Amino acid sequence: MHATGGATGVVGTGGQDRAGRSRHVGPYTLITALDDPRTKVPVPERRYIARSADGQHTVLLSLPQPGGDPQRFLAEAEASRYLLGPCAAPATALAGPGEPAWYVGPYLPVLPLPTALAVHGGPLPERTVRALGVALAETLAILHGQGLTFAGVSPASVLLAADRPRLSCFGAVRAAAPDGTSRSGLPGLEAGSLPPEQASGGRPRPLGDVYALGATLAYAATGHTTPERDELPAAFRTVIARCLSRDPSARPQLAELIDALSADTGVETGAGDGSAVLLTPGWLPGRVIAALAHQSAAVLTAEISFEATPAPPTSLLPHPD
Amino acid sequence: MPSPLTHDDPQALGPYHPIARLGSGGMGTVYLARTAGGRTVALKTMHARIASDPAFRTRFRLETDAARVVGARFGAGVVDADPRAETPWFATEYVLGPPLDEAVEVCGPLPEASVRALGAALCGALGQLHASDVVHRDLKPSNILITAYGPKVIDFGIARAAGDDHLTRVGVAVGTPAFMSPEQASGQEHTAAGDVFALAGLLVFAATGRPPFGHGQAADLLYRVQYTEADLRGVPDDLVPVLAQCLDKNPFRRPTTGWLASQLHDGGGEFADHLPDALLADIARRATEVWQITPQRLPAPADEPVTAATAGPVRWSRRRLLLTGTGAVLAVSGTGAAGAWALSELGGGSKTQPAPAPSNSLLPKKQLDSLWQIQVADPETYLTVDGLEFLPAQLHAVANLVVLVAGDSLNGVIARTGEVDWKSDDTVYTWQVASDGDRVILVTEVDDGYIGRSVEDDASHANPLALASVDILTGKTGKPFVYFADLNALPENQALCIADGVLYLVAGRGKFSQGFLASQSWYVLAVDISTGRRLWTAPLPRRRQDSSQLYFLGAGVAGNRLVALQEANDGSVHAVVRDTRTGTVRWDRKLDRVAPDQVRQSLVTDAQHLYVGAGPLRALRLGDGSVAWDSTSERPGRTYGLPALKDGSLYAVEKGLGLVAFDPASGRIKWQEKGGQAAKADLKTAPVVGSDYAYSKRGSRLWATDLSSHAPAHSYRTTGDCFMIHEKAGEIIALGGHFLAAFPLR
Repeated sequence: MHATGGATGVVGTGGQDRAGRSRHVGPYTLITALDDPRTKVPVPERRYIARSADGQHTVLLSLPQPGGDPQRFLAEAEASRYLLGPCAAPATALAGPGEPAWYVGPYLPVLPLPTALAVHGGPLPERTVRALGVALAETLAILHGQGLTFAGVSPASVLLAADRPRLSCFGAVRAAAPDGTSRSGLPGLEAGSLPPEQASGGRPRPLGDVYALGATLAYAATGHTTPERDELPAAFRTVIARCLSRDPSARPQLAELIDALSADTGVETGAGDGSAVLLTPGWLPGRVIAALAHQSAAVLTAEISFEATPAPPTSLLPHPD
Repeated sequence: MPSPLTHDDPQALGPYHPIARLGSGGMGTVYLARTAGGRTVALKTMHARIASDPAFRTRFRLETDAARVVGARFGAGVVDADPRAETPWFATEYVLGPPLDEAVEVCGPLPEASVRALGAALCGALGQLHASDVVHRDLKPSNILITAYGPKVIDFGIARAAGDDHLTRVGVAVGTPAFMSPEQASGQEHTAAGDVFALAGLLVFAATGRPPFGHGQAADLLYRVQYTEADLRGVPDDLVPVLAQCLDKNPFRRPTTGWLASQLHDGGGEFADHLPDALLADIARRATEVWQITPQRLPAPADEPVTAATAGPVRWSRRRLLLTGTGAVLAVSGTGAAGAWALSELGGGSKTQPAPAPSNSLLPKKQLDSLWQIQVADPETYLTVDGLEFLPAQLHAVANLVVLVAGDSLNGVIARTGEVDWKSDDTVYTWQVASDGDRVILVTEVDDGYIGRSVEDDASHANPLALASVDILTGKTGKPFVYFADLNALPENQALCIADGVLYLVAGRGKFSQGFLASQSWYVLAVDISTGRRLWTAPLPRRRQDSSQLYFLGAGVAGNRLVALQEANDGSVHAVVRDTRTGTVRWDRKLDRVAPDQVRQSLVTDAQHLYVGAGPLRALRLGDGSVAWDSTSERPGRTYGLPALKDGSLYAVEKGLGLVAFDPASGRIKWQEKGGQAAKADLKTAPVVGSDYAYSKRGSRLWATDLSSHAPAHSYRTTGDCFMIHEKAGEIIALGGHFLAAFPLR
């Protein structure tokens, strides 16, 4: 039996989860955690699938990691509201003043990249990695065009949805610690995808995103963010290695990365096509789709209750077949 | 994909609030619905008017039970149900995957690995069902949903416990001919081995995109299922012998589901591993799109839809789909037919806002309003309910009313205003209502107090036949004014017409059944409606067992002749003339090249002739049935629609040409329409003729042809495909496309 298709840590009923934390956050009730701790990949936020009290709005809800600075967390969430691009995951609502920090975006079935690897049973196919890489690079290019730096691309920040990836955890690096402070080893930051200049306290800049994206694509293709060079598929071995240069100026521009990942795919890419021609049926492996469908079905079935009467626990595990 | 709710969809059923429509069928509607806690389910409902029949309610409960037996792994998991509610409903998980027919449509024939994995999983599903002594009996591509984790079998509408016959009354030889087992097609017991046959047929469809016995008329399919070999061309070689074994005509030679599963698939990998990309993408899309639905409820429409069917609606096509062989009923799909109609919104009376006419015609275009229009809902087909057929709605002009017999209810609409005056909820079959323009008579029943051993054992008992009149002021059906102990209230009874105070009707004697029984005796009779006296009773040839073809297509009286078009047992159309005084058949003539549904409710006669269109236009002498004239002599090879008679002229639309006026005595052409959109003329509806204009349907418009200049004069936009003159109101009444509307008749 492979790892989970959705999440574990199903939140119990009666107002608190098993660890004694409240099931209610702001106007939302938690349904389940999104991330599977068994993947052992650090996640900068605690992410949940949650629902509004009237049952009508299901959301992806994020809380800061314990010990994280709620103000910095909320400042990044606030900034994310203005993110553009098809793969951006802007916050649509966040905690008001004086409230414990949280933010939400609309729910759609998604698997964090580490969960997708677990479900698939190993590194993702080259086709998936190319599509991911191009879509994410395009998203970062839009963001950089807005004058922003993402500062938080990591395996866990990439959410796979049926149509395209979503890039979550905007500003996780800035939220983790202020500039000028070492960020090495901070909880929630995945070491391999943290650019060295940001780890040492440097202000996040766009070329840091290129490093983080390279590490994340390496993770998708191999299962870890610090691969040996020959583990990577030959087709994009060179370009990913360049992304992972310690010296930011040696890293490729996003356009180069897009070209390299689009090359030799057998599809003609015209200007502006970019990821559209790669995100076609088959871009996600079957088991990842099965896990997305399973999560969707489980969340459809989940019922929240503000009454004391416990609802039956919802399992987000796929069928044990 | 889900569509918005309509204004008259329920606000809540139990704890569930509908948020979108998933589909609608003969028995009811399926909604996507949500609880206050956000649980989202597929909610299947049964129309309240169908649920008023205990037999259907029983079936609904059995369907729920069968779905529970199958469980969530191989079926749509049942969440909740209330089969006792006024609108019975049951809630299941919303299954994220396309039905097999859509899957094949979207992705093309499935690769062998998919077919094998699908087959093996279906064997598991059937094995579990059969182990619980339930047989599905209606396996077909639309009943198999393909999810990423395996197929789910749905729609247990006609599943039943093996050997359990108590649903026979509502379950006479049902199923879908293309995927029936031979034993089912011949009316024998369909056992678990029958499901294996159907499963193999499904896999042939999955692998090739074609049903195992091809397409075609139900009767042909039933024949092929029983007597010809399945078409396995295109099936992967290794699968051929396995599937051929399952498709053996002898149920005892077919393999078990366990053996079949072992031959199909080794069980390796996950189901999703074996699916093609396009199918996985479709599943993924469904899993995502369900989260993007915003609850939306359409307002009650006040306007006619701007788009109207330009391909002429297939008239009576639902009835066409009835099986001729065994009385089984086909699933109906994709027919744009004028079906049974029911008034849905009784607000009525809203005025049309005319929309600009999308026409390139150079003819003068004058925007003309319908005088009024009201929305009527098409309750889809009832024909998935075996044997119980609902003919399309009937319109009667009665006094100042338009009486619409639609679905199973009677509605009185004031002809001048379109206001709904009354609506009767007494269950009525459209073919059991007759009117002479002043009165409305129903063919109904009286309760003879018969008490059977139990409700279900009693199903074959039929009450005595009775006649009752409807109070046209209130819509209330009065107490029967006469009953006949020697005749029974059977669904196939027909009210033919009322002339000179005499009602002519068809009635049978025998057990109750949906569909004819060979054991029933049938008669035409004449009853004086003022005294209730039966004037005569004349026998009809027996119908074949399980036939559901009503005897009469249309009838009228000319002098002392009852002139009728009848459908014979072999499906041919006969013109039959009887003496109104004795019921004696004067002559009976088979009409070649006319299909029953082309001429239904279209009897046109004067004192000399019966006129028949739908092909060549012919006049038969009422005296002896000989041909007085035939358009083929003057215009060989031409095809005509249905005729209409007015002021000494016979009008019919000629294919490709338009309206033609004939001299009814000689068949000579008086004139033909000049110009206009003649090529689009609709042959399925008869023209309606006023004093100055003849109106005929062209595309989505009703065109008026000037009777003096013979040129097209003006037109009305209409969704109607059935037109009637209401003389008293001076209106043309149009029915079709969800609207009942009136236009000025000039």
